[in-house]
Amino acid sequence: MSVYVLQKLIRDVNRKPACREAYFQSPQKFAEGYDLTPAEREALLKFDVHALYAMGVHGLLLRPFTIMHKMSDPEYIKAVRGE
Amino acid sequence: MPITFACAASHVPGMTAWPEAAPVAQKDRVYGAFGALRDALDASGSDTLIVLTSEHWANFFLDHIGAFCIGKAERYSGPVEPWLKIEKQEIKGDPALAAELIEAAYDRGIEPSFAHELEFDHGTMVPLHFIAPRMDRPVVPVIFNTLAAPQPSAQRCLELGRVVGEVAAKSHKRIGLIATGGLSHDPGERNHGVIDQDFDHRFLAAMAAGDADKLARYTRGEFAKAGAGAFELLSWVALTGALGGRKGEVVAYEPVQPWATGVGLMNFTPALAA
Repeated sequence: MSVYVLQKLIRDVNRKPACREAYFQSPQKFAEGYDLTPAEREALLKFDVHALYAMGVHGLLLRPFTIMHKMSDPEYIKAVRGE
Repeated sequence: MPITFACAASHVPGMTAWPEAAPVAQKDRVYGAFGALRDALDASGSDTLIVLTSEHWANFFLDHIGAFCIGKAERYSGPVEPWLKIEKQEIKGDPALAAELIEAAYDRGIEPSFAHELEFDHGTMVPLHFIAPRMDRPVVPVIFNTLAAPQPSAQRCLELGRVVGEVAAKSHKRIGLIATGGLSHDPGERNHGVIDQDFDHRFLAAMAAGDADKLARYTRGEFAKAGAGAFELLSWVALTGALGGRKGEVVAYEPVQPWATGVGLMNFTPALAA
């Protein structure tokens, strides 16, 4: 599929408490419910923020998602810029 | 009844979620300006609020995007963000006023979508938290698509704002208007943390002058250059339309680096912004 599904997964985690719980319990198992490409799955499961951003995940999906992972603003900026 | 209260304010979530990150003097000036707006709202006797706002993938996703959505719900809940440090609560709606807005817009050739169920994210909850913290006035949200290109044009937002102003002025209710979003910021994007102060000052000057023509000429390219979040200023443009070009006062402007946003607050309430 496309980055659309990846964004949908991230939005579900951000937005739906039950999805959030399921994702943080087992990201791997949670991701099985979405038709991701191998590269998307790898970026997600490695929590590779730079790769997720480069794939086209919208900043206002990615930043809240990374806030849930306790990522600070400076860390986030470095990650999206690949620094 | 004439519009009883009108303001515009940024809604950056750092103002409640990580306030301590900001330099104390800047935080105090922003909080002080919110206090002045809160006092102006209370003094205005407004009983109902129309909030011109944006959302952040809370209700809408790429499966269905419209330019505008007017909330027709009996009640709303928010915030959706568990990390915002604002207590989750219910806010009354005003479906009758929402219906008037929708019908008036249709009659003028603008067809917003409407929703009987919406939740509020920081885009609406942060300004309500600071300006109307009792959350006891019914709210009608008017949500602008500021996320997914193409966003509505500034001219179109100005026209929708004119409809809002006409409906509010004809109403027997004492209606206050809050426009929220901006100013320059690029949340979550490559230029996250970059604040374009020149853009912000120019935009605030046009708003203060009530210069509808100038505001309507802002292009998508100009907003995008000031960061993805600058599209949220479309709601401010609509406010100028609603107020018929009334002049306003900049109550505060602070480029707050740790909040990654040019934070602006303006008051258009006649008693205080003559």
